[in-house]
Amino acid sequence: MIFLRVWNYFIGYLVIRVDGLSLEKFINLCVSRGIKLWGIRRISYTSLNANIGIKDFKSLPPIARKVHAKIRIMNKKGFPFILYRFRHRKMLLTGIVVFMTTLYVLSSFIWQVEVVGTLKINPDIIYSNLEKKGIKPGAYKGKLDTWKIENEMLIEIPELSWVSIEFKGTKAIIRAVEREKPPKLLDAETPCNIIASKDGIINQILVLEGDALVEVGDTVRKGQLLVSGIIHHEDMETIRYVHAKAKVFARTWYEGRGYGDIRDVLKVRTGRKVTHKVLETKEWEIDIDRKDIPFDEYEVEEREEPFLGISKLGWISWTIRDYYELTTIEQGDGMDLAKEKASERAMEDAFKRIPKGVKIIDKTFKYDIIKDTGYDAIVYIEVLEDIAEQVELLTN
Amino acid sequence: MKKKKLQTVKATVSEMFELPKEITLNMPKINLIGNNQMLVENHRGIIEYTPSIIRVNSTIGLIRVQGEELHLRNIAEEDIMISGDIKSIEFI
Repeated sequence: MIFLRVWNYFIGYLVIRVDGLSLEKFINLCVSRGIKLWGIRRISYTSLNANIGIKDFKSLPPIARKVHAKIRIMNKKGFPFILYRFRHRKMLLTGIVVFMTTLYVLSSFIWQVEVVGTLKINPDIIYSNLEKKGIKPGAYKGKLDTWKIENEMLIEIPELSWVSIEFKGTKAIIRAVEREKPPKLLDAETPCNIIASKDGIINQILVLEGDALVEVGDTVRKGQLLVSGIIHHEDMETIRYVHAKAKVFARTWYEGRGYGDIRDVLKVRTGRKVTHKVLETKEWEIDIDRKDIPFDEYEVEEREEPFLGISKLGWISWTIRDYYELTTIEQGDGMDLAKEKASERAMEDAFKRIPKGVKIIDKTFKYDIIKDTGYDAIVYIEVLEDIAEQVELLTN
Repeated sequence: MKKKKLQTVKATVSEMFELPKEITLNMPKINLIGNNQMLVENHRGIIEYTPSIIRVNSTIGLIRVQGEELHLRNIAEEDIMISGDIKSIEFI
């Protein structure tokens, strides 16, 4: 029903008044000729109001003559009549056209470039590379061959293993995946030694080529020679240089430190937040989105974003303040939480140094209580890893 | 007499095959929503229309609707929609 109404409004209709004596006959005649009437209301014995489509109205006069009725247009409703009213307002039309074209033209440029997914590489490298290729704020989108640019980027930035460029409106989103750097490999012919890359206790040693100098259970220090590439043949008095190859698994230790402050954990975010947006320049600021903060306790996170995504407009920017509601937990729980937090942080700290793909054997925590303020945690993680490192042997 | 016999045969057949009777028997189909909206399908024109009484012609005779502030919300060749405060419906 609502659809019908919208449709009627769109194509336009007339509100008519029919005056006459045999109005029922008028209605019947209309119906039999396929003229649609709706919203019929009898005003008095001799008159009624009805709605009728624009096209059908033209075929009304013969019917009206037949039943001796008089028809008057009371009102014109709908979109076509609004258009008709604006037919002399040329500037309005120009304005609409100008607005549409401006919108279209502006939306065919890039106004914002965003790089996602970089971890180790400085995104600036990607930004400057993109700029060279024409992806920068203010560039025309239509002429950019993203497929070609992606390929060129992969060649020019060796740290990338995959990249995709996507346009979302006026924003160019560049998704990048970094390549893991392959370890330096020595040529299989070059004579070399194997040394320890870390301190540890040897757990397992597998020599494929070379002369093992250490045994299982030995404690080795970083840089210590593990497998020698120089092989003495005592009975023949000759020396042979080989490309030593071995897997040396050793137990190594990593240490991580963390501190859990009771003040951090006593106040917990409840998940509710209120955001204020402020448009800021050096001289003034305008609140765009100011709401009352309904929280008793809260903390504020402030960040800046370029206005309209254009960093060139440096003098004007958004300041966005997120107010997070906080609640307080009891002291007793607080200490436990601080301890948890401290160990969590210590683990995080340790994991920063632990290489990928190693086996964790054991971990031990040590805590220091700092009275009324929190916990200091140290974690020792024992892992099993390959510490063999090939170094070239200088034969002369 | 013959016509009446034909009608009964039609009625039994449509009953048997579960056919819509308003089509096979050419009868009006009346749909009421509460007491404020009434849809008459398969009508034969309107005989009288005032805010308090509407008479609609049909194959089985006149349908008289009485009420207050009645108006014809929609009228087409096949159906009429009456809305308003309906008090009574009679078949004469």
